[in-house]
Amino acid sequence: MNPPVGLAAFLLVVVATAAVGFYGLRISRTTSDFYVASRTVPPWWNASAIGGEYLSAASFLGVAGLILLSGTDALWFPVGYTAGYLMLLLFVAAPLRRSGAYTIPDFTEARLESTAVRRVTSLVVIAVGWLYIVPQLHGAGLTIRISTGLPSWVGAVAVVLVVFLSVAAGGMRSITFVQAFQYWLKLTALAVPVVFVLLHQGGGAAVPVPEAINPTGLPAAGPYQTVSLLLALLFGTLGLPHVLVRFYTNPDGRSARRTTLIVLGLLSVFYLFPTAAGLLGRMYAPGLARDGRSDALVLLLPGELVGGTAGDVLSALVVAGAFAAFLSTTSGLVVSLAGVISQDLLGGSVRGFRIGALLAAVVPMAFALVTDSLGLAGSVGLVFAFTASTICPVLLLGIWWRGLSDAGAIAGMLTGAVLCGGAMVAGTLLGGATAPGWLAQPAAWTVPAAFAVMVLVSLATKERIPGSVARVMTRLHVPERPLSSER
Amino acid sequence: MTRVRVTAPQSAGRRPAGLLPSGSVSRDAAVDSDVGRLYVRSLIRSQLRLAIAVAAGFLLVLAACGLMVALVPEIAVLRLLGVPLNWLLLGAGLYPVIGLAAWLYNRSAARNEARYRELVDER
Repeated sequence: MNPPVGLAAFLLVVVATAAVGFYGLRISRTTSDFYVASRTVPPWWNASAIGGEYLSAASFLGVAGLILLSGTDALWFPVGYTAGYLMLLLFVAAPLRRSGAYTIPDFTEARLESTAVRRVTSLVVIAVGWLYIVPQLHGAGLTIRISTGLPSWVGAVAVVLVVFLSVAAGGMRSITFVQAFQYWLKLTALAVPVVFVLLHQGGGAAVPVPEAINPTGLPAAGPYQTVSLLLALLFGTLGLPHVLVRFYTNPDGRSARRTTLIVLGLLSVFYLFPTAAGLLGRMYAPGLARDGRSDALVLLLPGELVGGTAGDVLSALVVAGAFAAFLSTTSGLVVSLAGVISQDLLGGSVRGFRIGALLAAVVPMAFALVTDSLGLAGSVGLVFAFTASTICPVLLLGIWWRGLSDAGAIAGMLTGAVLCGGAMVAGTLLGGATAPGWLAQPAAWTVPAAFAVMVLVSLATKERIPGSVARVMTRLHVPERPLSSER
Repeated sequence: MTRVRVTAPQSAGRRPAGLLPSGSVSRDAAVDSDVGRLYVRSLIRSQLRLAIAVAAGFLLVLAACGLMVALVPEIAVLRLLGVPLNWLLLGAGLYPVIGLAAWLYNRSAARNEARYRELVDER
């Protein structure tokens, strides 16, 4: 790829993000404060913002790369990423909005009246956030290496620097506008090149059968692997820390549901394109899988199949979209982590928030610099398994079961964290590809274990069920009084 | 089939105003009497039943698609617009199902809430 083109694309995204942020900041200053402003944000903007924050390196680069590697087995990833929002809609969206909680630790503390639960939840949230940022930085490193020829660490450091500066400067008041813009940028950056390549290749007479090509010779995933993966993706989404904050910008529970429906539509449209890119790669560029460049498939596809100036322009567009993905997901995570770290560890001052943002960004950066990516979609899939085994049980049982006690919540979260975290460490030590299936995809046994421990310990400690449970449950589930304008 | 709990209309004495800080009328009515608590419990139960039913239906479709692709290899030979049918099914066909499930859920959940509100307002 043409190095100056890649670099220009990256700078363009940074400048455009700053410009949209500035524009949004001006708008939110005209209203009295952020929360009031959020009520005037139409559901479409809000849904775009949720989509913008959610679509990370794994979706933008990883899905197509994994489809190139493992074919139809990998198609479950985008389906799972999308259906995760269906589960979020069914079990979490409206009650969580009605809880009034701004972060997951806020919710568990309010529901269980326990600061110990809050502390454990905070630790889990910080772990999830760090684990989730690492693949974003791996993706940034890969993109900068492929597009400009610079070493990988430049990409990771650049993303962390941009995110930290914008978060610390307080520019995140306008985050809804920035994130909404990033969704449409990502969609365009993937859709235009894919459609162009499709039209370009459409004239070719001999279309190879994608199944006949297996560039890696990887065996098909067994039923256990697929079920375990889907369990992780379906129930991991509803525990992601940066997702909950976004739901707070809905005025009430009903609009939280409406927004989620739009998010599902936006995600469905988006995932058609990485899927198509993966299929195109499998048919026309299977060589990329053999030399370990599969995660760079969408970056390389225009250059390989179109070439020339058109190829350069399309590549630049994809690079821009990729950086939009790293920046939006990382900044969403850093903001929510900085909030948790500063509130729970540093006393909640503005200075504490900045230190929190620094910790939230620098720790995963150090980790990303000393490790190598083992496939972006796979490593994000493991993070989903971790949230599904820790935060998902406490949210689901907290919202729907009166019998949950603080001791049960803590025991269940710790069980899930130890089992799933242990499986992740053991799987990595055994060396990714050669690890046995039950270690590589732990969700199928760690999620039920966490639920079981949470329920059993709660049943054994009935006297610890908070007295406020009836009041809190009412607040979570009873519809808000309709606004007079709706009547 | 939805079960409906039938209760006689009651005019239980209301608590003095200001005891509950949440300003919503339907919320106040909900907590301040046994009947109110009953209404809330049945609302939560019907919402949970609805969510589980939609989730189960979707998972069933998901499992059926997975089994079909795994057990009927002929499906990979069939093509629509040059794309093998198994790719079309998993890569594009499941999204409308997700959207439909979400839309149905939203409608029914809103209806459950409207029914609850009617019950509370009647008192």
